[in-house]
Amino acid sequence: MSLDLSPLTYLLALAFGGTLLTFFAGSRARWIALATAVGTLGISIWLLANFQLGLATDYQFVQVTHWLTLSTGGSAGLAVNYTVGIDGISLPFLLLSAILTLVTVIYHWDERKNPAGFFGLVGLTNAGLLGVFVALDVLLFFAFWEIVLIPMFFLIGHWGGTRRHYASLKFFVYTHVASVVTLVSLFAMVFLGNWGSMDFGGSISTADVAALNVQSIPQITQVLMFGALFFGFGVKLPMVPFHTWLPDAHVEAPTGGSVLLAGMLLKMGAYGLIRIAFPLLPYGHVAAEPVVLGIAFLSIVWGAFLSLAQRDLKRMVAFSSINHMGIVLLAIALWTQLSVTAAVLLMFAHGLVSGLLFLLSGSVHHTFGTRDIPSIGGITSRTPILSTMLIIGSLASLGLPSLVSFPAEFSAFLATWEALGWWILLPLFALVITAGFYLWMLQRLSFGPAHGIPEKARDLPFNEMLAMGLLVSLIVLYGILPYLIVQLIPHSAIFATQCFHGGSTVCATQP
Amino acid sequence: MSYTIPTISPYTPEISLLVAVVLIFLLDVAGVKSRILLGGATSLFLLLAFLEVLADLGTWPLQGLSTLPSGYLGTLQGPVIFTSFGLIFQGIFLAVALIVGFASISDPDEEGAPTFYALLTLAAIGMLFVAVSADLILLLLSIEITGIATYALVGYTRRDRRALEAAMKFYIIGALSTAISFFGASLLYGAYGTTQLSAFSTLPANHELALMGFGMVAAGLAFKATLVPFHMWAVDVYDGAGPNVAGFLSGGSKKMGLFALFVVFVAAVRVFGAAEGYVLFLALGSLAVITMTLGNVLALEQKTMKRMLAYSSIAQAGYMLLGVAIDTPAALAGATLQITADVLMKTGAFVVVGAAASLGIGPLITDYKGLGHSRPGISASFAIMLLSLAGMPLTLGFVGKFYLFFAAVEAPGYFILLAIAGLLNSAISVFYYARILRLMYMPDDSKAPASDGHSLTHSTLGSATGPATPRWASLRSEITAVGTARWITIVSVAVLLVLFGIYPTTLVGAMNSAAQQFWTIGF
Repeated sequence: MSLDLSPLTYLLALAFGGTLLTFFAGSRARWIALATAVGTLGISIWLLANFQLGLATDYQFVQVTHWLTLSTGGSAGLAVNYTVGIDGISLPFLLLSAILTLVTVIYHWDERKNPAGFFGLVGLTNAGLLGVFVALDVLLFFAFWEIVLIPMFFLIGHWGGTRRHYASLKFFVYTHVASVVTLVSLFAMVFLGNWGSMDFGGSISTADVAALNVQSIPQITQVLMFGALFFGFGVKLPMVPFHTWLPDAHVEAPTGGSVLLAGMLLKMGAYGLIRIAFPLLPYGHVAAEPVVLGIAFLSIVWGAFLSLAQRDLKRMVAFSSINHMGIVLLAIALWTQLSVTAAVLLMFAHGLVSGLLFLLSGSVHHTFGTRDIPSIGGITSRTPILSTMLIIGSLASLGLPSLVSFPAEFSAFLATWEALGWWILLPLFALVITAGFYLWMLQRLSFGPAHGIPEKARDLPFNEMLAMGLLVSLIVLYGILPYLIVQLIPHSAIFATQCFHGGSTVCATQP
Repeated sequence: MSYTIPTISPYTPEISLLVAVVLIFLLDVAGVKSRILLGGATSLFLLLAFLEVLADLGTWPLQGLSTLPSGYLGTLQGPVIFTSFGLIFQGIFLAVALIVGFASISDPDEEGAPTFYALLTLAAIGMLFVAVSADLILLLLSIEITGIATYALVGYTRRDRRALEAAMKFYIIGALSTAISFFGASLLYGAYGTTQLSAFSTLPANHELALMGFGMVAAGLAFKATLVPFHMWAVDVYDGAGPNVAGFLSGGSKKMGLFALFVVFVAAVRVFGAAEGYVLFLALGSLAVITMTLGNVLALEQKTMKRMLAYSSIAQAGYMLLGVAIDTPAALAGATLQITADVLMKTGAFVVVGAAASLGIGPLITDYKGLGHSRPGISASFAIMLLSLAGMPLTLGFVGKFYLFFAAVEAPGYFILLAIAGLLNSAISVFYYARILRLMYMPDDSKAPASDGHSLTHSTLGSATGPATPRWASLRSEITAVGTARWITIVSVAVLLVLFGIYPTTLVGAMNSAAQQFWTIGF
């Protein structure tokens, strides 16, 4: 066992260790949670600073440590390694996870219902998420994937709203069944592809990646395996028609739970598609492309219309996530360098923006006692800061230029135009609806004559303002200077989209 | 057949336990009733035997202490054979006995103490012989040694009527299962002309007779292993026996039944599977699936902790049966790993039930409400055991289950269906384990909902209504209330589960080579 520990190992150790301490810290839990969140964000920023752009076609900060060997009868057996590493696709997610966790901790600073449990579970979610995004081994990936489920189940089930038991159970059943399907398909890939270890990166250099290739597997099996993975990851995304867990989970989840759920857990599904399903099963995704595109279009349009119909602010934001993740799925399905870059950027943007919007719906709820859009109005006069934040969040979500969603959606639509031509009208049409429901909501909630505002309603307390301010400043920063994030992605995107396709010839010529 | 007289040194673990039994009886005669003394002596001898087995396995840094003559491992010595696989199981059996023996030092002093320790040690001796048997008769006889000791163990507290009832039930079922096994053995003798286990890797002329014999031996062993449909006794007996004894039955005597199934059937299933086609695998596979499903589904609706654990124990037996149902080295290694995990988590869980009883907590699952806040140490340990039982990552339970399901996918043919069935089952099981966790840590779950975790105003902030901070003082009072030995046992079991869950490398490595070798030789 080598003692060459990757900084990623320190990151995971900090996240898990801090979480453990938080659980046992009692009334001091929030300080430890804050320290852990700041620490993980610090390491993530350090990683960003030390990430070498020229090498972005391969994984960096790699650590391969032998974990266990599975006996496979006859041969040397199958190695399972603790393999971690990041590339330009996973790094934005690490940053996002750390940011959103910090924001959640700040927002819930005054949590009074069993704070040690709450902050511990938030920390555990973060730790599991970081693990998912750095894992380069199938088993490790799956283990972290499962770890994320548990704290979210408890966050919804204990700190949630009235129907929290139903919602947490539904969330758990949907995602757990999806995990089971995913696991079987991952196993099948490892065996039928005759992998020497369960690593899908890290211990294998770029040129050897063809060794992982499952081209030797019969095409029908490839399609089946792709279908299983697509289902497993797609439920998490979520895609229509497997999206029904999402609004329930979101509406019942505590605010911080929603932020992590929308900001990070949905991204896990898309990340799985980008990292595993699409590159490793090239034939499968080519064959399934019409279905994937169809589901993407359906999710975009259906999500937009569903949002339009909602009265509950939080439910509306939740359904708009389906719409946005539909665009992400569309971008992934096109599977070009540009579109994958756009997908990652979109998810980064959506993480920040939906995080902000969920914080806002939480604040609206406890400030006004309801989230029902028609029953309150004209909040700007009483709570100007809250209203301002709401306007910024909505404008960011509908893709106003100079805010972070704009470059992301623009590049996604550019990629769509390149690949599909006039089909672009469909998502553009949905975009109009998205703009429509956000503006309509603002018109009713922020402007117009004040009504339905309780006497004791006050503007945002400091910690909530700080949490939202943090997100708003990042939304503006990355909206004006998108290249800060974008520059990371394209090299890794071309690696993902092309190296696995016809073997190593393309990769050999890459810079 | 003539047997040479074997050298005595390989039997150091067995002999040291015999010495312990004699010592306990002498102490009893001398009037020593103290559990600290008796239990301490028993634990010490069990620990010595355990270390000796580790040494025989060549574990660093004990390998120099091995008492096995060179070339002894894997060669037949009359009715006995020492294999790494058997030695691993010896280690497992001794670990169970050690956990139970050490934890029960904290049981209240009563007149039965010397009997308890003597019986526990005797049962362990029987198990040690099971693990090295190369002959069906020795195997069944050794099982019977353990059996008789455990029947008495269940009923040793003469004052508890339910324990007596359980002992009676266990005895009758046990006697029946032994009779069936021996009848099966006689049929096998008729078919093969020998009771050597190595003979079972060939196809006899009269193979209907052999199949019938195997069926009966399997039925007899299935009682011990609590496989459906021979599981009915287990719940009542585990429920009636003291928690530590229930832990010993679930962790020890059941695993002995499973090991015996492996030993008798691994080669036979392969040979007969080739001859009879997939029918045999189908039968074994569905037996495994039915066992795990029934156990899990029934565990869902249990009200008392012990019965819930008993049903979950039946479900676990279903997973472990996959080892012989799939019959590949990977499946055997996976089953062994899962057995190791189960020994720690299930025996540990029963010890926790005992600890809870000593804290005045009732038998119902709902009685554990709020335990997480009042008793942080044992609750956290119990939580780890439950998470491990549910197969959550970072615990040994995950590695074991994962390896088993991996083996099902890896095996050729339709075994992948077993993996899917197992995964769905483990999804079901999460619910009843999660329910306990929720009760322990989130006791106020039935109250009115808190909207978004906030109240409508921010004016009353700061008045933390959360539970009292766990402090060292409360931990110390917890240790006193539970009993030092029991507390140490519970916490170290939990720590081991996590340690092996994070670093299973050496454990899995040893099991891989042992299972590979065992699968090749066939016993």
